[in-house]
Amino acid sequence: MAEARKSMIKFKPKKFKVGDTIKVDFIVIHPMETGTKKDKKTGNIKPAHYIDNITFSLDGKPFTTMKVWETVSTNPYFSVNLKVPAKGKITVDYTDNTGEKNTKSKKLKPKG
Amino acid sequence: MKRRNFIKGFCTASALAVAVSPSSLLAKDAPKSGNKLSLDMAITAITGGKAVAESKKVSLTVPEIAENGAVVPVKVHVESPMTDNDYVKAIHVLASKNGNSRCADVMLTPLNGKGYFATRVKLGGTQDIVALVEMSDGTFLKTSKPVKVTIGGCG
Repeated sequence: MAEARKSMIKFKPKKFKVGDTIKVDFIVIHPMETGTKKDKKTGNIKPAHYIDNITFSLDGKPFTTMKVWETVSTNPYFSVNLKVPAKGKITVDYTDNTGEKNTKSKKLKPKG
Repeated sequence: MKRRNFIKGFCTASALAVAVSPSSLLAKDAPKSGNKLSLDMAITAITGGKAVAESKKVSLTVPEIAENGAVVPVKVHVESPMTDNDYVKAIHVLASKNGNSRCADVMLTPLNGKGYFATRVKLGGTQDIVALVEMSDGTFLKTSKPVKVTIGGCG
């Protein structure tokens, strides 16, 4: 892990109860380089650099896994649903093709 | 060779060159990726040769015209009860004419509550977005929608 990437987990709607189905959005600041673009200054082709695996887990138990390619936009956004079973902690682990590993987590606090 | 023929030939050749050049330029801009996969190859790689049925259960939300091909929002909804026996196993998002047509493979579990996935993809040009869905009983459903891209997002 060279440097921590800026990332964010959002729950939509913000207020929810146990049993509700909410959206879990994950946004990360990442170049998602395709490996086809030229660097305008040097004229060299920029090497491919993209996120390839993402795991969404609740209390360490994965509920959604993704495999992603360079065709996903820069600063990618991924959204999935989750049926809230109880209080817990959402963790998103992601790795990119250079082997960089990162995690981001947020507490899941249902009310009522 | 006679002078007349030579000039004729030269003219047609240059006209052809002019006509061909825009497409050849486009071809140069097309993404060249290491794991290059066309749409058909990608679909067979996912399904393993199983039949894919067009279905209205899968709904795909994409813009009709995308001003910027670098950021095209894609939403996939799948009608499913999402119980332990009947749920959406995987959602695959594919783009028909990108150099690498695979965008994302999403493996879902019954805990998700709904068969839903949203992301943003890059598109090199006007093409179809395909959502290929694998249900828990092993059947494959598919739906596709065209997106008109004004400015390509790759290269």
